[in-house]
Amino acid sequence: MADRSNVVGTVAGPGDDPNEFVFVTPSDKSIKTGEFITYTVSVEGEPRSVFARVTNRELIRGLPEGFLADPEVGPETVAATLGVPTDDTELYQLTATVIGYYDTNMTTFANPRQLPDPGTPLSIAPHQQLETVLPNLGCETDSTDITTLDGVAHIGWLLNRPAEATNLHIPIEEFASTHLAILASTGSGKSYTASVLIEEMMRPSSRASLLVFDPHGEYDTLAEMQGEEAFQGEDGYEPEIEYYDPERLRVRISELEIGDVMAILDNPSNRMQERLSTAWQAMQRQESRTWGIDELIGEMERIYGDDDASVGALEWRLRRSIERNDLFHPEENVPLDEIVDPGQCTVLQMDTLDRRDQQLITTVLLRRMYRERLDDVRDRDSDIEHPIFALFEEGHRFAPASGEAPSLGIMRTITSEGRKFGFGLGIISQRPSKIDQDVLSQCGTQISMQIKNPNDQDAIKNSVEAAGEDVLRELPGLTPGQAVVSGDAMNTPALIQVRQRRTPHGAGSRPVIEEWREAYDERQREPTQSESADFGEGDSTGVQSLD
Amino acid sequence: MTDTPPDGESPDIDSCVRIGSIVSSNSHLDYVVEVYKERDCDRPPELHEREFGQPVFIKKTVNGTEHAVIGVIYDTQLVDPDQGRTGPRLAQDDQAQFTPGYIEERTTLAGVALLGTAEIAEDGAVQEPTHQMPRWTLEVEDTVFHCPDQVTVSFHTIDEQIQLAYMDRLLDIAGDLGSEVIVALIDRLRGVLPEDDPNHRVLDVVEQNVQWQAREQRGLV
Repeated sequence: MADRSNVVGTVAGPGDDPNEFVFVTPSDKSIKTGEFITYTVSVEGEPRSVFARVTNRELIRGLPEGFLADPEVGPETVAATLGVPTDDTELYQLTATVIGYYDTNMTTFANPRQLPDPGTPLSIAPHQQLETVLPNLGCETDSTDITTLDGVAHIGWLLNRPAEATNLHIPIEEFASTHLAILASTGSGKSYTASVLIEEMMRPSSRASLLVFDPHGEYDTLAEMQGEEAFQGEDGYEPEIEYYDPERLRVRISELEIGDVMAILDNPSNRMQERLSTAWQAMQRQESRTWGIDELIGEMERIYGDDDASVGALEWRLRRSIERNDLFHPEENVPLDEIVDPGQCTVLQMDTLDRRDQQLITTVLLRRMYRERLDDVRDRDSDIEHPIFALFEEGHRFAPASGEAPSLGIMRTITSEGRKFGFGLGIISQRPSKIDQDVLSQCGTQISMQIKNPNDQDAIKNSVEAAGEDVLRELPGLTPGQAVVSGDAMNTPALIQVRQRRTPHGAGSRPVIEEWREAYDERQREPTQSESADFGEGDSTGVQSLD
Repeated sequence: MTDTPPDGESPDIDSCVRIGSIVSSNSHLDYVVEVYKERDCDRPPELHEREFGQPVFIKKTVNGTEHAVIGVIYDTQLVDPDQGRTGPRLAQDDQAQFTPGYIEERTTLAGVALLGTAEIAEDGAVQEPTHQMPRWTLEVEDTVFHCPDQVTVSFHTIDEQIQLAYMDRLLDIAGDLGSEVIVALIDRLRGVLPEDDPNHRVLDVVEQNVQWQAREQRGLV
């Protein structure tokens, strides 16, 4: 430790917490809160770099507040008048929490359970070392060139470092199998971050099989990945981006479960429910999977007779809710082998469907895919013979914390069991408090962005195990594009700046003022025919009359 | 405070009023000056010329260069050896001038704290002021001169900015009256500086701070 050129501070002593220590730096070594610093300790005879995170920064020596009495007189002027030196006067005391040293056997952090001695020199943790040890990459040394690794997603760089200095690559396998949650308030970059991840997953080194449930049509720019050089593999691979617009989304009626049907009917009476479930079960037992409402009603009439009043009422309800809805079809179905394939990202655009239909199509698709994955793992015939990852924009619609949603059950099943069957879910939402807690708590990796609502912060605190106090404290202060990554994909949570997308972003806010003005100009150009009846609008004469 | 040097506009170090001579010291920076009376010199200082907070200087030649060691009156004391003695009054009503003995020995002593030094140029002006601690020792019987306001300002102007960099030492020497000396000095500087001088505001802040600290120390706030 003879060379102290990269030393930024010196340990002063232990802090309040058992894992905390305080250190002192002069003002020119500006260390930000959240910065990773490192010191060396000897663990079992070997020197180890222990990492610590700076959590607080306090001024312990500086000019007195009295010098600030007159806003027009700078404190350094007052100090100069009194002969007080102002260069390097400020001393900061920083608090840091020990994360641990990187245990190469366990490939994660181990706590040395020993605070640094007073006087221990501290330095900023080197970029490459952090790139290796922060994400859960399982590297065998504590400093690896992670750009050579396969199956990692470059999502951004550490916030406290210069742009692209310390890049964070998270293991795709980890979040794709133990589920992912992207939580952020509107406009802070959720779908942007999701698109970055999609881009990474579609690169030649990963070739994921992705399905995006997009209730707003925000992901229509992903197609530009096709033809981009960065996404082309040496073997001719190119990601395939498939869009399914609402016209192509179909639910085969026989795929619905009795609970789904009940949910879409208007207040069926007990008697009706009984009639319907008996007939439904009878139909499900049939060989044919392509039956419609006519066949179902025929079955009910066969069991209960032609003149049963409840059957009549049910018929009306079924025809109104199912038959007249284009989503449901006796035969057509979304073909699973078309929507999931390695190297293919399918975007299910559901922006014109109402919420109930969105939930139903999601339910049915998830159920079918889960069944196929189950069959595949159990060595039965299956349409999907590879793991899949489904991303849900507006995740609270599909797994709401309150209220009924037919999709909730299958979402819970997949988040708790999906890992075994290679079925990962990604939940994107701006209202963590409105997501079902069981679903949210099973999302092993979290990317949390700016969240100010206290209810939503509580929801994260209650359901996200990895979210420590220091992570939660950061959430209100983040700006768009900044995120905290925590959970299974990370060895320790980190604050990052999400990287630029390679494809343009499609979900930004609309330029409202510009559109208003354009619309106004448009109207000005139209011939005004009803001028005499135009009270108070003044759209053709108002401006001129002012001259 | 508004006195002008006898020779008019330009301050001439050589023609300043003599205030007194050094009789003893309490420390390297803290001297006791016996104030001149009628008998001691042609033109003894008037009351306002030796008031509390009056800057003074002592001339010293060091290495061939003439320097002014600048100080300030931070305390005064009256000494009357007769105090407590009730002897017969020797003077009669018809012989008022018979005043032998101790009467002349009554003296006024002034405490002078040293602030810094400056060089005295050929033309008698001060230059290169420094507020660092003067390293030279003064002698008993060194003459202490009244420091005209212009010299005071020159001494306090370093790099075109008013400075009172000796303040911590002065507060230490002056003790209880420390803040009052500083306020008196600041008042004096303020009176000489032009109205629109930006240093006024800085002096305000400094004065406020000193006074506030003094009030805090004295338990007022």
